[in-house]
Amino acid sequence: MRQFLLKGAMATLLAAALATGAAAQTKTEIELFFPVPVDGKLARDMTTMIKEFNEKHPDIVATPVYTGSYDETLIKTRAAIKAGKPPAAVIMSANFLTDLVIEGEIAAFDDLIQASGKTNDQFMAQFFPALHANAIVDRKVYGVPFHNSTPLLYYNVDHFREAGLDPDNPPKNWQELIAAAKKLTKREGDRVTRWGIMAPSNYDYGGWILQALVMSNGGRWFNEEYGGEVYYDTPSMLGAMTFWSDLVHKHKVHPAGEQKGPGVSTSFLSGQSAMMLLSTGSLTHIRDNAKFPYKVAFVPMNVRNAVPIGGASLVQPKGLDEAKRKAGWTLITWMTAPEKSGWWSRATGYFAPNKGAYELAEMKEFLAKNPDARIAIEQLAYAKPWFATYKTVAVRKAIEDELQAVLSGKKQPKEAVAAAQKAADEILRPYVEQTALKLPATN
Amino acid sequence: MAEIALAEPAVQSKRVAALRLDRRHLLGLVLLGPSLVFLAAFTYWPVVQVLWQSVHAESRAGNVYVGLSNFAAIFGDAAFRRALSNNAIYAVGTVVPSLVLALGFALSLARSNALNVVLRSILFLPVLVPLVAAASIFLFIFLPGVGLLDYYLARLGIQGANWLGDPDIALYSIMALTVWKNAGYYMLFFLAGLQAIPPESYEAATLDGASPWQRLRYVTLPYLRPTIAFVLVIALLNVVTQVDHIFVLTKGGPSDSTNLLLFYIYQQAVEHYDAGKAAAATVVSLSFLLALSAFSLRRMDAGADMEGGRA
Repeated sequence: MRQFLLKGAMATLLAAALATGAAAQTKTEIELFFPVPVDGKLARDMTTMIKEFNEKHPDIVATPVYTGSYDETLIKTRAAIKAGKPPAAVIMSANFLTDLVIEGEIAAFDDLIQASGKTNDQFMAQFFPALHANAIVDRKVYGVPFHNSTPLLYYNVDHFREAGLDPDNPPKNWQELIAAAKKLTKREGDRVTRWGIMAPSNYDYGGWILQALVMSNGGRWFNEEYGGEVYYDTPSMLGAMTFWSDLVHKHKVHPAGEQKGPGVSTSFLSGQSAMMLLSTGSLTHIRDNAKFPYKVAFVPMNVRNAVPIGGASLVQPKGLDEAKRKAGWTLITWMTAPEKSGWWSRATGYFAPNKGAYELAEMKEFLAKNPDARIAIEQLAYAKPWFATYKTVAVRKAIEDELQAVLSGKKQPKEAVAAAQKAADEILRPYVEQTALKLPATN
Repeated sequence: MAEIALAEPAVQSKRVAALRLDRRHLLGLVLLGPSLVFLAAFTYWPVVQVLWQSVHAESRAGNVYVGLSNFAAIFGDAAFRRALSNNAIYAVGTVVPSLVLALGFALSLARSNALNVVLRSILFLPVLVPLVAAASIFLFIFLPGVGLLDYYLARLGIQGANWLGDPDIALYSIMALTVWKNAGYYMLFFLAGLQAIPPESYEAATLDGASPWQRLRYVTLPYLRPTIAFVLVIALLNVVTQVDHIFVLTKGGPSDSTNLLLFYIYQQAVEHYDAGKAAAATVVSLSFLLALSAFSLRRMDAGADMEGGRA
């Protein structure tokens, strides 16, 4: 861990040194913290984008600072805020915004939006409606959606044909999913040589995929309006957890134990699993590396079609001086306008949150050529907010630990969801006591 | 050692008046000054801060004194107790095998010849790889199904395991990586220790008709005692201070099965955003470290005295 911090510190120092060297006195120097959450060459693409920004805005010098994963970016942003040197913009995992607002660490953009002559509603109208809930807290805009994703079902077309399944008719509900996965699983004696389906269950990814199953099962996971409640010990969660557990222990079409995101995509790419649930953010990586025809489909449902959004928004910490704040805002609006939004989407596989991006000619051409990217956007109509609570990471881990225990055969789903609820309530308690349970004193 | 460190300032303050005008001592202090400043700023001040934080809780109203409730909270936390027991298993499971392996390597490669130099370098290689990089390599070795390990197991017709994703196995996979990484380093100390054993002792033992096993038991090991004690301290410190591989490979999962003390502290500090609990856990692990070091170093002193007496 020390090495990680050291690296971060060194990168910041280097970036600062470079920025001071290059800048004339009148220029506003700002930093952009950015994570690289999924497979691919995102860091290079980001550098290209910021270089173009600096060329087009001679009065601003923006420096991109690579800050690791989503979770590490949160840590480094908080460290920078504590050190009194907040970056002017951060690409922040969209489900951390609620917690950052509760802790009073990020600033609302309302005054900057008003200065540009728009109301909050007018400003947010340019983004897909599914993204609003994770960017707006208490009617104030705290995040500008930058790149977003949903979970998708990826499947190997060759394997489908070989198993006598129709690749144009992928499983639409849980029953069809189990039936297909059974046909697709291959065994040599006791040894499985190909899994029917795989889904990641490591910290962070596991909670998100589980949320997709819960939502497809009619559930909500959390209270979208209030950061102090999660619905873990509920029928929709129990059903989702049992379904995943059954894939492993009952139908034996999914490997046991915790699976990591990169392990799942590698397994799919090497033909050792026929289907997988993974982020749309991995589309470009899979497209570039799959040596076989593949297709994507909606996440199969049990009660209704619904998936959580994922991805990140641009946020701005409190404590910036006026010049940096404005320069940061210029960068944020430039990065989220249709043209850049579309370019970034094509480079990464994330969908562009700005609806305008899909009106542009390059994007129409791209979608015509890559029908898999179109499926990702169509699923957006069924997308819902990503879980975001007080201490999101810890609350998420409370159920991920239980999920991993269930997938490893250590616990039954029923006791797991009850234990997760208890642990989450304990973490949420300080916030709940200061808000929903802070009642007027009698007499 | 801790006692000495505590006693020194008191002794110094008594003498300060007498020494104030002594130029040689003044020069000494001036020369020591920069290091003292850095030591105070980066070692002792943070220790004081941690102690202070461990009895306070951060809240919106500011910091409040909460006495020992942070300590009560961590000992009441199943994840902390799990981290403690994991750390104990991890300590035994990495220190013993890596010391035995290191001693074995050193004994078989003690003689300096061309082949042994090459073999020593190969065994030392893992030490040169940073732990983060080593962990990233093992991520691919341990990958279920397609990883190097499973690939070769599959060739033998054996179904591999979910090395890092099965809560029963994950900690042992991490321990295997740690032993691989550290054994070569400890070998170096044993090689140096072996050079210091006078050849006459072996001659005398051989003349007395000692078997190879007896020579190891009654000549080599007693001479190596101070080295073993020293390596033991280093190894135990590594057990508590190195978590880079946990960070890369498992993040403490699945279900906290690979969570170690230092990683727990990290989680409290950055995931739960609870400086008080993090500080309390730090104090607990620091006290463990201090106690272990003090105990081992005292034993080492005792061992060295005994050797001296015997010589």
